[in-house]
Amino acid sequence: MNTSVLPDAEAAEPVVSAPFFLRGEVLHGTDVIQKSRDLGVTFATPRIPFDRAVPPRTEVPPLLNVPLAEIIDFLVETGARLLSPDNDHMQECIERMCKTHILPRAVVENTARHAAAYLNKQTLMAEVEQNFSDPRALDTWVPRQDYTGRKSFVRAFAPRLIHVLPGNSPGVSVKSVAQGAMVKAVNLFKMSSADPFTMVAILRTMADLDPGHPIVRSMSAVYWRGGDEAVERVLYRPQYFDKIVAWGGGDAISNVIKYLGPGFQLVSFDPKTSISMVGREALANEATIDEVADLCSADVMTLNQEACVASRFQFVEGPQEDVDRFCERLHHHIARRAAASGDVRPLDMDMREQVEAMILMDDEYGVWGRTDGRGLVIRSDEPVDFHPINKTANVVRVDSLDDAVKWINVATQTVGFYPFHRMADFRDRLAAGGAQRIVHLGEAGPSTIGNPHDAMYPLHRFVHWMAHEDGVEGR
Amino acid sequence: MGSATDKLTALVADPQRFSFSADELRATQVAALDERFQERRDRIRLLAMRARDAGIERITCIADIVPVLFPHTAYKSYPESFLMDERWDKLTKWLGTISPYPIEGIDLEGISGIDDWIERLAAKGYFISCSSGTTGKSAMLIASQKDMDWSKIDTVNVFSWGSGVEPKQDRMIVGSAPVASVPKNRTIAQAQYDAYANPEWPRWNYPVPPITVGSLTSMVVMRKKIADGTARPEEIAAFEETSAARAKAIEDAVPATAEHIIAHRDKKLQLSGMWNGLWQVAKAVRDRGYGRDDFNPDNSIYVGGGLKRAQLPPDYQQFVYETFNIPSDRQFQNYSMQELNSGMPKCREGGRYHVPPWIVPILLDKTGDAALDHTHGEMEGRAAFFDLSLDGRWGGVITGDRISLDYSPCQCGNAGPSIRDNVARYADLEGDDKIGCAGTVDAYVRGVA
Repeated sequence: MNTSVLPDAEAAEPVVSAPFFLRGEVLHGTDVIQKSRDLGVTFATPRIPFDRAVPPRTEVPPLLNVPLAEIIDFLVETGARLLSPDNDHMQECIERMCKTHILPRAVVENTARHAAAYLNKQTLMAEVEQNFSDPRALDTWVPRQDYTGRKSFVRAFAPRLIHVLPGNSPGVSVKSVAQGAMVKAVNLFKMSSADPFTMVAILRTMADLDPGHPIVRSMSAVYWRGGDEAVERVLYRPQYFDKIVAWGGGDAISNVIKYLGPGFQLVSFDPKTSISMVGREALANEATIDEVADLCSADVMTLNQEACVASRFQFVEGPQEDVDRFCERLHHHIARRAAASGDVRPLDMDMREQVEAMILMDDEYGVWGRTDGRGLVIRSDEPVDFHPINKTANVVRVDSLDDAVKWINVATQTVGFYPFHRMADFRDRLAAGGAQRIVHLGEAGPSTIGNPHDAMYPLHRFVHWMAHEDGVEGR
Repeated sequence: MGSATDKLTALVADPQRFSFSADELRATQVAALDERFQERRDRIRLLAMRARDAGIERITCIADIVPVLFPHTAYKSYPESFLMDERWDKLTKWLGTISPYPIEGIDLEGISGIDDWIERLAAKGYFISCSSGTTGKSAMLIASQKDMDWSKIDTVNVFSWGSGVEPKQDRMIVGSAPVASVPKNRTIAQAQYDAYANPEWPRWNYPVPPITVGSLTSMVVMRKKIADGTARPEEIAAFEETSAARAKAIEDAVPATAEHIIAHRDKKLQLSGMWNGLWQVAKAVRDRGYGRDDFNPDNSIYVGGGLKRAQLPPDYQQFVYETFNIPSDRQFQNYSMQELNSGMPKCREGGRYHVPPWIVPILLDKTGDAALDHTHGEMEGRAAFFDLSLDGRWGGVITGDRISLDYSPCQCGNAGPSIRDNVARYADLEGDDKIGCAGTVDAYVRGVA
């Protein structure tokens, strides 16, 4: 007799079909049953038909001779269709995300809107123009001649890219499709278990517009479990792809690294931590404290602190008494924003333990708020061990912002700064430490369109730079 | 302690201790939990805060205790900077938030390192054990002299019940694993020796440099320095050298231990260790041309812990038993953890781990937030335990383990709660390939693991 009761019984969950997209064709199948912890669903996928996912190198990439302007027009058209209420592919995805996402519906819907907004003609042109000194190289073999009279043509040739996508970010999916299209690449998207649906929905939206479009014929999206050697040993080869474009760190990257070699390069978008630096000018009087704390809270609460640009550590310059007044206001504004978004996720156990130890050691630490997920500020003399997340700010008190520079490290992305006039004095030291952006406090989110990302111009790195040498003038 | 608690802990040496069903024990266990809670709530500061936050005044059923159980992570909630900066005063103060006894009279002047700090605490009756976290922080578990005394008795009882080997002081004990040199491990090893070893034969200790809390935490400290960007290249080179030397010592310990076992093959042996080390030693013995026929058919073995991610051939257990001629009904295994003070031995007939009356097992949901509705039969969930025998720290702990707990009688005839031999760690079961853009500098630290 078997009396066992399994509360996690997988059979009780519905199995959702996650089809693949292969250069214009949708492939349904239930050969492999996969599990998405984030979505709380079991999903079924087909087996990967490798030969269809990897076109041979003897084929010239379908987008090669499609003018960039035409590509951008198609992307813009796609953007308009993405959020249309009668786009069932996307509506279904957004609905599913809202149901299972850790963030409230309004926040998720907003990210989807943001994602679609990227497909704007001016935005896309600015990206290209900032990435390439001469964007014509994407469309044609650009002639040039050096000072000795030697002539050549140079082309930003269409590469073959594998994109390892992160989950939970429709923004990255949209951006990856657009960038892959603009460099005219042959693209294979590896979806994440956290979201094995959105990329296919985007590509199906495109296929509905024009099933034979060269963009559609340049895109495939499939899922396999990250690290699955049966797939990765087959696909991760320079004979099939030039570059692997990967997001994240840890296992996601170490799985990829072992396949790198001559001809198969990594373009990585690394996991990042962002911070704030607040000068003593912010503590001048109560009104200024409140105003600057509000700016700071905007950076902390970017995408409810789920994004890499969201501030986690705030280095505040001044005596403890004043810094504590800042902490009190910062907590007020974080809690206000948290309440407005309806997000009351509890803190995870590990972090909760550490915060509670700090509450008990109250002469070393200041703690505003509780570990209840409604917003929390911890003041300490150096950064806490844990990664502040879920509406948690760690204010590190310093005598001088010069002392904060030592905490900048290779994972530091955005530094929100106040007052603005002191930024120029810090930017060189921040860059030397590893940081990538310094911004006005309160403006961690927006960036000048076309600016470098992750300390590089990605499109420039994606393409296969090809030279056609054409002899010497007059010889 | 209170009367209900005493009633349960008095069963420590009762040969029938695993025969009481959960139903029979429940009322006494609930009373004992309430006794423990009332005694400790004002003495352990973390418990006081938990109780206040959860609004708990008394324990009237087992589920009431859940909000005040401590996750295993509670014992690593100290800031790492205290270790890095050698702030013994602050670390001592942190210990004070989880200790029921005020930590007093410790001389904090001129401490040379964490091992010294731990020694000074031990001299005053505060015993610190350290879990060997691989890459992250180590948990620091505080215990009292009473707990050490309990361990001494419990370990012998657990082994003799689970293996059927009687303590007759007639064996040579051979350690085949590097064991962390912490008070609890030393106490247990000594108790096992006193009970089972022929006093004329010294214990064979695995010939590796002692693993102290200091050596365990040095890795944590180096990792943090690398992450902060303050570790200099020369420092990393020196650290790598030490790690390589340590790995070499562990490698060399295998043939040396095999040699010792072969030299004493005429004696009755009691081998102890973990599967990985035992298998390697067994292999070395076989490679030297020895095996079953060379060893005493009354040999015994004490295996602690799981595989700890070691890769071994599927028949590794069989291989070890056969090599040393260990009778098939002596396959002792124990389920326990540093957080608890008592063991749960595996029975030989049913192959299940048995929970003694003074440990209250509680099944929680996967996240560890709520008790599952579990009153009969077998169910799977996150393991939590309240070890009523614990004196020097709070007895309630939420583990990282997934277990199947059964309230039905076991095949071995005992009616008490038992745990299936398929314990797994949630951390090993997960490993989803979720990736995102936000992350920590940990992803940039290579090779310190």
